[in-house]
Amino acid sequence: MMEPERSANVACRELCLERQGQRVLDNLSCAFHPGELTAVIGPNGAGKSSLLQLLAGVLNASAGEVSINEQPLADFSPAARARLCAYLPQSEVPAWSVSAADLVALGLLPWGRLKDREERVRRALGKVGGADFAQRAVTRLSGGELRRVQLARLLVGEAPLLIADEPTAALDIRHQLQLLQTLRGIADSGKTVILALHDLSLAARFCDRVILLDEGRLRAQGTPRDVFTPAMIGDVYGVSCEFRWRDGEPEFVVFDLI
Amino acid sequence: MLNSNRIALGLLGVALPLALLAALVSGPVSIDLAAALRDSWRGESSEAVILWQLRLPRALLAILVGAALGMGGAAMQGLLRNPLAEPALLGVSSGAALAAILLLYYGLAWQSGWWLPLLAIGGAFVAVLSVWALAGRGASASRLVLAGVAINAFLSALMALALNYAPSMFAMQEIVFWLLGSLANRGWDQLLLALPFIIAGGLLLFASRNYLRALTLGEASAASLGFGGRRHPLLLLLGIAAAVGAAVAVAGTIGFIGLVVPHLMRPLVGQDPARLLWASALCGALLLLLADIFVLNFVGAQELRIGAVTAFIGAPFFFWLIVSARRGGAL
Repeated sequence: MMEPERSANVACRELCLERQGQRVLDNLSCAFHPGELTAVIGPNGAGKSSLLQLLAGVLNASAGEVSINEQPLADFSPAARARLCAYLPQSEVPAWSVSAADLVALGLLPWGRLKDREERVRRALGKVGGADFAQRAVTRLSGGELRRVQLARLLVGEAPLLIADEPTAALDIRHQLQLLQTLRGIADSGKTVILALHDLSLAARFCDRVILLDEGRLRAQGTPRDVFTPAMIGDVYGVSCEFRWRDGEPEFVVFDLI
Repeated sequence: MLNSNRIALGLLGVALPLALLAALVSGPVSIDLAAALRDSWRGESSEAVILWQLRLPRALLAILVGAALGMGGAAMQGLLRNPLAEPALLGVSSGAALAAILLLYYGLAWQSGWWLPLLAIGGAFVAVLSVWALAGRGASASRLVLAGVAINAFLSALMALALNYAPSMFAMQEIVFWLLGSLANRGWDQLLLALPFIIAGGLLLFASRNYLRALTLGEASAASLGFGGRRHPLLLLLGIAAAVGAAVAVAGTIGFIGLVVPHLMRPLVGQDPARLLWASALCGALLLLLADIFVLNFVGAQELRIGAVTAFIGAPFFFWLIVSARRGGAL
């Protein structure tokens, strides 16, 4: 049985996270909506991964609350939460050399037995262009191929909320574009998609909304156009940049260190 | 994958009954198996007694203990995501061993045949729960191993102390022989004692199969798939403690089976940690039965302890592992 809930409105309210006495996230409130592709951006150590882990329920907040469809995340059973939200961490090294298809099938574990398991796995691998290496052992995949297989694992359950931590890392330019296009399409189909991204040009081009974190605090949120101002990016990253339109497409260019 | 699964199942399914037959005709007294079976209907004959009271329970115990060690090893390697993990790593064996040694030390072991195995199983549970508690909330695999090393070191120190101050040469010999592991002089009592624990442990491990699968992706991803929290590792550890603890309780510490068997099975059934559970149980049963057949047919003044035989299987296996890793194989 698939979960009847097909959309996810995610809200976090006054989230705080402390780790070893250090405040990693400080009083963070933001929301994520179905049909939107949101990028969480910020310099290294800004708290992007921690925020994503809190949203996925992998980590528990020190204070504050994450809710999905106005129900606190803590109220969901682990399996129900897993059916609602799929999560891909920044690095995920498979411990055993299972086949790519078997790895993708792990994404279906929250659903228990499914009759159309193989068909779903095949479809998910097709979406990331990975049908060719379905039967290959994951240790024999290149870094980029493995990342795409992991993305298929994220997609295979068709959860309404998808969270991926730097999914474009280790991918070449072509596959980065392909992946963002895939995720864009998935968001357009009504899913809530949240990514941590380092590549601001990709974020400017593909994402509806951007959440800018700096030292655990929310610095700005809004459309890429609102957030990617030379003053804001200059202040947070220490680089000069420009957000401009070319042939009706948004474009973000970094010039130099300030 | 289904095909090689069937092949592995078929091979083990054929080899196990053959080895059982070989075990039944192995021993210092040669018996006519057919005659012994015929006699057992009619009444008492010495051959029937040897078959039913000595050889059959011993062979079945080898199968049971081997299966427990095999699946315990597969579960431990899956839990710690490390192909070099073995069931003893988190204190199961040394917990059971220490409890047994204390009984042998005080000479209480032979007052009743039930005391030693029961307390040894208790010792296994206490050791594993201590490791689990010591590792603490949100324990990663490396913290579990660290806690296991700490508890194992502490238990080894206590064992060394017990040996050091052994009250008599006889007690010391008892302890050392027990530590070497043996299936000699075991009967239906030991088999029936270990059986429920090993079955319960096996069921717990089987119930944890999807947790082991999810752990392939690491702890964070497993948590995101609904396998977070402390319940899942606890159930798995309790399963290992029940199965391996009971095995150690009735047969002493028999090393290497749990470490080697999953490696032997991976080329046949693949690396899926859940599939490895049953495959390792079958292979462990076969391997220990073969080792015991070797022990039974070994002619010497002293009884050859099965723990020594499995160590001789384990050591070359490591050499092979190194050679294959140097050739570029996956470890």
